[in-house]
Amino acid sequence: MAQVSSALLAHTTNLELVIRHVLAGLGQGVHAGRERGSGVEFSEYRAYAPGDEWRRVDWKLLARADRYYVREAERDSHVAVWLLLDASASMAEPSRSVPGLDKLAYARTLLACIGAIAQRQGDAFGLAVLANGRVQLVPAARGPRQLQRVLAKLQSVQAAGALPDADVLRSGLRFTQSPSLIFAATDFLDWPSPLSEALIRLRHMRHDVRAACLQTEAECTGGFDAGPAYRDPERDAAVFRFGADLRAGYLRNREQHFDTVTAHLRAHDVPLVHVQIEQAPGEVLRNWLRQGGRR
Amino acid sequence: MNSLWWFALPVLLLPILWHRKKRVQAQAEPLASARFLPRTEPRQMRVWRWSDMLLLLLRCLLLACAIAWLADPVFPWRGDTVVVAGGTDAQWTEREIKAAGLGEADRLPLKASEALAWIGAHEREFKPEARLLVLGDIPMPATLPQFRRPVLLRTLATPAPRVDAHVAIFSTRAPQWRRLFAALGGPLRVVVDERPNPKTELIVWDLPDAPPATLRAPLWWTTDTAAFTELAQSKALGTMRYADGPRGRVWASTAWPPRDAAAARALLDTWRELHYGPLPYTAPSQAFAATHAAARSQASGALREFLMWALAALFAIERILTHARRR
Repeated sequence: MAQVSSALLAHTTNLELVIRHVLAGLGQGVHAGRERGSGVEFSEYRAYAPGDEWRRVDWKLLARADRYYVREAERDSHVAVWLLLDASASMAEPSRSVPGLDKLAYARTLLACIGAIAQRQGDAFGLAVLANGRVQLVPAARGPRQLQRVLAKLQSVQAAGALPDADVLRSGLRFTQSPSLIFAATDFLDWPSPLSEALIRLRHMRHDVRAACLQTEAECTGGFDAGPAYRDPERDAAVFRFGADLRAGYLRNREQHFDTVTAHLRAHDVPLVHVQIEQAPGEVLRNWLRQGGRR
Repeated sequence: MNSLWWFALPVLLLPILWHRKKRVQAQAEPLASARFLPRTEPRQMRVWRWSDMLLLLLRCLLLACAIAWLADPVFPWRGDTVVVAGGTDAQWTEREIKAAGLGEADRLPLKASEALAWIGAHEREFKPEARLLVLGDIPMPATLPQFRRPVLLRTLATPAPRVDAHVAIFSTRAPQWRRLFAALGGPLRVVVDERPNPKTELIVWDLPDAPPATLRAPLWWTTDTAAFTELAQSKALGTMRYADGPRGRVWASTAWPPRDAAAARALLDTWRELHYGPLPYTAPSQAFAATHAAARSQASGALREFLMWALAALFAIERILTHARRR
């Protein structure tokens, strides 16, 4: 199966379509579930809902009742998966080489794929969007409808404003009741920040936190156009200039910053993947999922 | 040279410069990792953006008009022309025009004394291929006129009009004086009045006593210097003395009335030339060839009036528009 390239992401806003293509060559799950498949122990029948897998439809019951029913298994998994999306203004940073692609679209795709995987495994999953100084939460739940909810929320997210402050984050991210798997997609340009503190705090609460640091190719290589003036989308109205003479200094500053980020996260046992949004999302997703297993 | 004013046309750039927006801050693109770059001053650049195009147009027109008024442009619009001096014989004129083949040409009546000077001043109004014929009793100019185009001059001397000079004679030798004036030839004729009247131009005072104080004339001739007190300080010119007094100018000589023809002619010629001007001398017919003489700096001013009106109208409209814009 051909990898879905990042260029194709820019062409569609249909997340379901993207998920299907990205996950086509990506059979394995997020974590080693205690029970395999969609559950072995029969619990109850439930009316069919769009998005349910056809193999879970009870055909004998269809023949008898002329209606679609789905066999619900007893408790698929005990792990809740939390998708943490940074939708601050800096996430609108576009790829300077792939037109129409930006960090937010890429993060959205990655998190949607993880949500779909969790749904397939029968895990409960929820979504927290951090934008405009607020936390928007889709509470964790199971099933295809939950996936629809999460996808709709992801679809509607616009990159705007700054990250919420520490208090808002502390009250917003309250999912301490069960062990969870937390996937955070952000650009880590602010460090230390309320988000970094929250991630480390969650890690200390024995959640499995996995972070992805999204960057563009131009950011990694310092390949910006020297012509226009630049401004920071989240800070004051200062103006910045880029040119060949400033590239070395830029790369040095950036490397220093991300060295700090990496060292900090490693010290707190939070695995971090550096993602260039020009990379194929399937490959990135595999790396991200695999990383937790390696620990 | 008036046409040097055209070099002032770059002044039109001033309103154009004033009307464009001077500085516009360059748009800054958002860049997430801008924090790794050094800060810089907001770059500003000049942008050509026009404001109030109508006003700009008016101001440019106004300036152009003012410069044109100063430069006094002349457009060559006169074709073949026959300049006919006033009082020229019509038949002779027609004959000359036919002979020159200028039957279709415009005719321009001018005073004989001004014709050549007028052509010199308005030379730029003639088209390059236009031919010029000057007809009439054109007086001989002091210097040979120079034109930038060939000019044909055909002259016909007309008899000068008769001029009467009123003379009053107070003398015991009146017949001698009358003989003297009768000898005067040319267009100037002497009318001897019995008594002086306001038209009298010359009084001959050949009496030993002083003339009455109320008697005045532009010129007095006297043979007795004692009769005129002003002659005491007078200047001498040969045998003659002259002085200006309250009665008028006085010429005095004890040798009058002249005894021979030469002295009489000298006196009459002097009188005529000093008081009636020389007799005009008709220039001979000739063709002036084109010379490379520079055009007269004194331009014709043919468009000045129109340009002045345009200037006033444009200025008024510009002021009104500016005022309306401020409101």
